[in-house]
Amino acid sequence: MEFRTAGYNGYAVKYSPYFDSRLAVVASANFGLVGNGRVYILGLDANGIHAERVYDTPDSVYDLAWAERNETQVIVGGGDGSIKLFDTKSPDNFPVQEWKEHNREVYSVNYNLVTKDSFVSSSWDGTVKVWDPVRPNSLLTLPTHSCTYSTAFAPRSPSIISAVSSDSHLRIFDLRTNPSSANHLVHLIPIHGYPPMPGSTYGPPRQTYAPSECLTHDWNKYRDTVIATAGVDQLIRTFDIRNPKAGPVAILRGHDYAVRKLSWSPHLSDVLLSGSYDMTARVWSDGSNANAPSRPANLGPEAWGDELGRMNVHTEFVTGVDWCLFGAEGWVATTAWDERVCVWDVRSVMNPANASRFN
Amino acid sequence: MTTAGQRLSSVLSHLNPLSTGRSRLLQKNPDDIVITYAARTPLTKAKKGGLKDTPIDDLLIALLTIVREQSKLDPNLVEDVCLGNVLAPGQAYMARASVLAAGYPVTAAASVANRFCSSGLLAVQQIANQIIAGSIEIGIAIGAESMSTNADGGAPTLSEKITNHPISSQNLQPMGQTSENVAGDFGISREKMDEFAARSFQRAERSQKEGWVKDEIVPIEVQIKDPKTGVVETKIIDRDDGVRYGTTAESLGKIRAAFPQWKPSQTTGGNASQITDGAAAILLMKRSKAEELGQTIVGKFCGATIVGLAPRIMGIGPSYAIPKILEKTGLTIADLDVIEINEAFASMGVYCVEKLGLDPEKVNPRGGAIAFGHPLGCTGARQIVTALSELRRQDKRIAVTSMCVGTGMGMAGVFVSEH
Repeated sequence: MEFRTAGYNGYAVKYSPYFDSRLAVVASANFGLVGNGRVYILGLDANGIHAERVYDTPDSVYDLAWAERNETQVIVGGGDGSIKLFDTKSPDNFPVQEWKEHNREVYSVNYNLVTKDSFVSSSWDGTVKVWDPVRPNSLLTLPTHSCTYSTAFAPRSPSIISAVSSDSHLRIFDLRTNPSSANHLVHLIPIHGYPPMPGSTYGPPRQTYAPSECLTHDWNKYRDTVIATAGVDQLIRTFDIRNPKAGPVAILRGHDYAVRKLSWSPHLSDVLLSGSYDMTARVWSDGSNANAPSRPANLGPEAWGDELGRMNVHTEFVTGVDWCLFGAEGWVATTAWDERVCVWDVRSVMNPANASRFN
Repeated sequence: MTTAGQRLSSVLSHLNPLSTGRSRLLQKNPDDIVITYAARTPLTKAKKGGLKDTPIDDLLIALLTIVREQSKLDPNLVEDVCLGNVLAPGQAYMARASVLAAGYPVTAAASVANRFCSSGLLAVQQIANQIIAGSIEIGIAIGAESMSTNADGGAPTLSEKITNHPISSQNLQPMGQTSENVAGDFGISREKMDEFAARSFQRAERSQKEGWVKDEIVPIEVQIKDPKTGVVETKIIDRDDGVRYGTTAESLGKIRAAFPQWKPSQTTGGNASQITDGAAAILLMKRSKAEELGQTIVGKFCGATIVGLAPRIMGIGPSYAIPKILEKTGLTIADLDVIEINEAFASMGVYCVEKLGLDPEKVNPRGGAIAFGHPLGCTGARQIVTALSELRRQDKRIAVTSMCVGTGMGMAGVFVSEH
């Protein structure tokens, strides 16, 4: 199934956490470089996909999050540094709430899944901000000092926030720590790898990579210490934050250009979906499920993980990917700069053995 | 930049994931360590050439004076001068005293760097590291050697713990012996060595005839004593005197082995570096400082590194040092436009070119130490002057400079021309 965001190039897509037939998409004119943005609330039915609501914004929009407490509200981050709250119950097409604190493009917004009363945003201005939708100002600002493309609340903890930035680092903040000069930062993980320790004979020699901008990350929905990251160096890595110094657990190699968006499956703990500038969306296993073929321990993180399938329908950069939380386990939505939103079943791009794992 | 421009460049940076080390290296940042002046004296034959009666301190004073006058830099801003030198006795006295005698204020400090043939490059690295660390803002690296007045006596008497040590005792081997070891261990033929040496002479000859080398050299005024009459006169020395025109591999093939006592005895006076006097100077500061002072930026120091290896085959040091610095700077062999490898001996030169798969056209395009000499402490700095000048001439950008180091080491550095 397909929907055209005519004149607007897609940036993000999210399934509603309440209804299996509702999607929200943000798209921007002129590839998000200059011009307006548009927010689409889409409905799915037997006849296909239709727009239920369309909101225009004066500047580009880059990411959205459904409010976890109110099925009619979405939060949108935009190019002018603003965050807007739209409510489909509102009769007009204006945001019901707007926050303007970020100084540069807001590239990600993410809702707290546990308390459901706050959300987090990240911006090119080098900050992550925590918000309560009923308050006019942010609750907290966490500096990253680097253009931050993606931030998220941990899915099982109300007080842990992660962020990835153009400085090639994954940051973990824990709001339970006392206020101090560390600004709640508890882990600063170099995604490209720790520098080798001269003279250290502990453990096998690690392969090191050049630092590169990290564009996206996501928390695993079942293993609450596992995070996947990906970005300009085309590699998807998984980290276990219980042992950040160990480096990546798995490295998934395959995309031919930068990876723009990642999403772990809400159904299978080892499966994730990625969208890339190489115009494909790919489904991966990180090799952690019990049925995966056993692998020699000495081969390092690159030996783990497999590409399960790839979707080649998009004709421009794939920028948004998301899994449907309900019904059959293989349904996903993707959006791209080709002005299309595609809803498809990952089983359709897999061999039968892999497809049979999805109910 | 406009918002749209910034967003576009952000997307473009995502799309150039494999933006090469080359493009990264060529970026200009305010904290780059840049070279705003680089020059050398002529190199002349020890005991015979124009610098034969010029002691090391006079050589230093002459070149430092030229740097002071030609760089258009206020000498009060020079905080440290590092001298790369191997043989001079009382180096530390001589370095500091020469700086002051050359017209720098008492606030200009001096130090000495000595790691044999890499001393000139080590001096550049020392000054650059001080600037990077914020210890100083402006410094001069100078490599100088007077082999006429300071003889190379070889290794001193060393402890029995060294002479009885299987590896450390190799440090007693004269350099000529290590050249024969390289030729023998790696099967480098006499013919290849003579071809390599002849190419060095031919390139240096062309460089002199076309006037390319004039861009490197600053003439210096020296006192010279006529060996027959004993009359001392003042002369301007302005050219390298070691280059024998018309040299061919055949003519070099007739020269007798220099070291019949060590097999395979392929090293000769014609395919080994000459014993020579000379000096070279490099003026370094941050790009931000150079722009603030209106200094002309001629090049950029991008890093240097050192490796160790078995002393008995010290000549092949560059075959380890060059890959190491390439890895550190994110470059590949193909990114290099000019490769300066010190021609201590043709045996190690042939080995390094073959081992690394270097394009012979890019290696020492103006000839090297076999043709115009190897003043030990000078060479590391001299090669930078030569490389930057050759990059300017060819309108190219990136050079690596490397040398083998006695006692078993190799050093390499990467420089960018900003002509």
